[in-house]
Amino acid sequence: MNDYSVIGKRMPRVDSRAKVTGEAKYTADLKFPRMLVGKVLRSPLPHARILHIDTTRARRLPGVKAVVTGEDTTGEKWGVFRYTRDQQFLPTDKVRYLGEEVAAVAAVDEDTALEALELIKVDYEELPAVFDPLEAMAPDAPRIHEDFPQNINIHVAIHVGDVEEGFAKSYYVREDTFRAPEESYFQGEPYAVVARFDLEGNLEIWMPNAGPHMKAKPLSNALKIPLHKVHVRKITIGGAFGGRSEISPADFICALLAQKTRRPVKIVYSREENTIATRQGHAMITTIKTGVDRQGRVIARDVTCFMDGGAYSSTGPIATSVPFLCMEQAYRMENVRYNGYRIYTNKPVRGMIRVHGRAFACGVDTQLDMIAEQLGIDPVEIRLRNAREAGDYTNTRSYVTSCAMKETIRRAAERAGWKEKWGKLPPYRGIGIGCNSVQTGFPMGIRGGSQAFIKFNEDGGATVISGVVDNGQGNDNMLVQIAAEELGLRPEDIQLVTADTEVTPLDPGAYSQVSTFIGGQAVKLAAQDARRKLLEIASEALEAHVDDLVARDRMIFVKGSPQKAIPIKKVVRMGLARGKSVSGEGAYWPKVDPKREWVTNPFGQMCEAFSFGTTIAEVEVDPETGKVKVLQVVAAQDVGFALNPLVLEGQFQGAVAMGGQGGMLTEYHFWDQGRVMNPTQLEYKLPLAPDMPPIETIIVESHDPNGPYGAKEAGMSIAMSAAQAYSAAVSNAIGVYMKEFPITPDKILQALRSKREDKE
Amino acid sequence: MRLPRFQYLEPKDLCEALHLLELHGEECRILAGGTDLLVRMKQRLLRPSWILSLKNLHELDYIRNEDGALCIGGRTPLARVLSSPVVAEKIPALREAVQSIGAPTIQHYRGTLGGNLCQDTRCLHHNQSAFWRSTKQPCHKAGGRICYAREGSDRCRSTHQSDAAPALMALEARVVLSRKEGTRILSLEDFYTTRGETPLAIERGEILTEIQIPLPSSGSGNAYRRIAYRSAVDFPIASAGVSVQVRKGRIQRAKIVVGSIASAPLPLAQAGACLQGRPLDDEDALERAAQVSMDHASAFAVDNVGSTVEYRIRMVSVLVKRALKEALHRAQSREDEP
Repeated sequence: MNDYSVIGKRMPRVDSRAKVTGEAKYTADLKFPRMLVGKVLRSPLPHARILHIDTTRARRLPGVKAVVTGEDTTGEKWGVFRYTRDQQFLPTDKVRYLGEEVAAVAAVDEDTALEALELIKVDYEELPAVFDPLEAMAPDAPRIHEDFPQNINIHVAIHVGDVEEGFAKSYYVREDTFRAPEESYFQGEPYAVVARFDLEGNLEIWMPNAGPHMKAKPLSNALKIPLHKVHVRKITIGGAFGGRSEISPADFICALLAQKTRRPVKIVYSREENTIATRQGHAMITTIKTGVDRQGRVIARDVTCFMDGGAYSSTGPIATSVPFLCMEQAYRMENVRYNGYRIYTNKPVRGMIRVHGRAFACGVDTQLDMIAEQLGIDPVEIRLRNAREAGDYTNTRSYVTSCAMKETIRRAAERAGWKEKWGKLPPYRGIGIGCNSVQTGFPMGIRGGSQAFIKFNEDGGATVISGVVDNGQGNDNMLVQIAAEELGLRPEDIQLVTADTEVTPLDPGAYSQVSTFIGGQAVKLAAQDARRKLLEIASEALEAHVDDLVARDRMIFVKGSPQKAIPIKKVVRMGLARGKSVSGEGAYWPKVDPKREWVTNPFGQMCEAFSFGTTIAEVEVDPETGKVKVLQVVAAQDVGFALNPLVLEGQFQGAVAMGGQGGMLTEYHFWDQGRVMNPTQLEYKLPLAPDMPPIETIIVESHDPNGPYGAKEAGMSIAMSAAQAYSAAVSNAIGVYMKEFPITPDKILQALRSKREDKE
Repeated sequence: MRLPRFQYLEPKDLCEALHLLELHGEECRILAGGTDLLVRMKQRLLRPSWILSLKNLHELDYIRNEDGALCIGGRTPLARVLSSPVVAEKIPALREAVQSIGAPTIQHYRGTLGGNLCQDTRCLHHNQSAFWRSTKQPCHKAGGRICYAREGSDRCRSTHQSDAAPALMALEARVVLSRKEGTRILSLEDFYTTRGETPLAIERGEILTEIQIPLPSSGSGNAYRRIAYRSAVDFPIASAGVSVQVRKGRIQRAKIVVGSIASAPLPLAQAGACLQGRPLDDEDALERAAQVSMDHASAFAVDNVGSTVEYRIRMVSVLVKRALKEALHRAQSREDEP
């Protein structure tokens, strides 16, 4: 049993009070003297050549301080990878989706800025557009980017073993195709940016981000200013879910307007802009062919996935790989082949999302249920037979150090009463299970590791300096807990200076659930370094060996004799008075294979730890209306170790809302050509609190030997497995395996009707 | 999103309000709770020069019994309708409708009954931002000559999605429209024009000051059912308000009104006639009424709100049947009342 004083405790988050009282300041709340309002002019066409932009009248409008277009840029293209450089933040040649940035203005107030937009005249030559990924691949389809024939943006090809041979050996083989349209994040906070320059040419910029350093580098490149002069500042962030992962044209545009006007500029996106001009989740068509032995173990699996990537690459190579990786981590397969194609279309840009690939993840699990039925195996049993185990290598050669997948399955099944319910529920009631796994990070080049500093203050409190960003998941609290634990302080003694590229060292950002594992680890090491220095000073005063000293609850005392103690504050002051260092530093670099590359070499150690989640949902379907009532959800995840169960439970609940309730029952975008018909929450059916079912959470701890205190990823494994559980439960309730997601009431009625007609 | 500029008027009583309304005419819009109006203004669907707020018109905030009718002031907050014992007891259909408007926060904080009746029709091709609409030619509703919801339609096919309207129409409610020169009373069937472009028969200078609902007698029952994909903050994609009169185990009369399908609530006399004289437990008659309702509704529905048009049409029969069952059940339990 551990003996932590802060770690592992149900501690309310350090940021909750400011958030619930509304005192927390988000980017849109920032105000500076002489600040201007920035607004973006967007393309009304999905695909067009820009012939001419006339900004004369807009510039003449009183109150307008700057108007920028592609002509004010170097014209360079940006991309997450060298081979995906395809996006100009203000295009010079053509627009590729309806809503793309074409020009922007900065004016003294919002009304003037909006009026100025109306005065900008753009001449377009409309080009044929394509909105469907399969049509976009046709030989005669309009070419969206010159360098990409057939509009194939990314092709990830993986083949491990020999699937054809595997199918030949299989006892039972089946192939199914699953589809899902685009979805959106609907972060609590629509996108916003504030930028200003100082007299030395330093850029200060605030925006929701998933890693300040990931914003600074492309801004430095695009604005042609040295990286150390780009200061991305810390600000409260209202959610990311994968949708804040990279630079946004708005960041560049806002900085450019600030540079031109020499005044602070603020751009705040409308909800519609947040939907069409940040990121969306990919639409997908996934064909899965699986061969199993008589016991239902997967001998071979062949997956082909077509992803609608929209107009630009974004994180394309990663996005095309992650759905496959999640599957290969969750389930053992003897042979596997994957062909993932990300296709350009004239639609908004798609990026990472918390449930990455509804049609993929739910497809794999739905098909597993179909196979189980065919072979007369219980769905829980077939998952246990295929589940990943510790000590395994994944097909793409990642070693799995810790894994409690089977425990999550067993405990969730037990809590949900699976045995009593499976096959025994009344008509239109159903129960379903989903399993998934998410990686704790991936190789990220120079920004793959994290460094941190700890500074003791003369009052005995400490300041943590770390690049880790909190965009809603509770990272700030995680850092406070770790530092307080290691330094022997209370959480309220810890100050944070984080996510500020001027001050904080390099860090990967909140990407792929990596913050605790890498950033947290760096802070832990820095705190241990600072503590060692304190203990050395204390050892003289207490006349005890350093190894016999313990720091806890603001005191340093000798192990076994708590009366021999000295306050930490006193030790710090002794150190300061004697000119001894009382600060610490730490650096953590994950043991991953740096040669692993998404497209050219998708093999080798992906990350140090993998998490595993199982969700079980029980539903009741109204056969007349097709509406689904979710009766209960049980979510179990192997998180390694729970640093704060309270935060984890919140993560699980949010994950069920996003992945299951919203993601599988109601959330999707529908289109009129390149126009999204439901850009706001009124028509995009995000679930509300009263829609949510009772949720039971089970935290499973496998104590990863490499994780800080044994911790690893949390939250995303539940979001993905919740989507799978919901689809399985609905399919079970209506007796039809659903292959198109989300499973809206109209689809359920259609399925019931087809089933009746088939019988007749 | 930002509201366009406007001048704000806050009259202290009805007399002043009617005077101001007369003065500013077409350029003036009435603000009750604002839950419909302000969104439309933000989307630039409306750009009134003047906004006349009913904030201080407490004289229009009441629920009272008058000559066998329940009279509800036009700007009575929805929350007050919900807390009325008479509404709960005698006109549960209204209560059910009001309960499903917006969300409890909207019912308590802003929304008014008059405002819900006066809401404009909606269409996914029209109720979008100014930017969104700028990418297309204007439709009928926006003064153009195209319909995006039904190809070739020579008129606007936008949908009236009020919850209260079909419930109240089934109860044969009337509205009082006041102007400087006097008042007129319209049945809800006359109040709704069925024209998508101009769905309300309210004229320049008029304010909806009162809703009059004939109080149902013994042996009557009413109910409202609606469907939406989400539990709150969601307009219905189909709805049904019904009222029935029963006597000695038989249905004397049934009124069926279908909402959220056409540009006005649809009173379906033929569907109601299927039930006349039938025994209460005549499942076939109920099925028939539901089927006829669906057939009639299908002639009006277009694909322009929430779900697919096929789904919405199908829901008409389910909702009509469910509302009828509930109303008959209520009527039966009230048959012996004095």
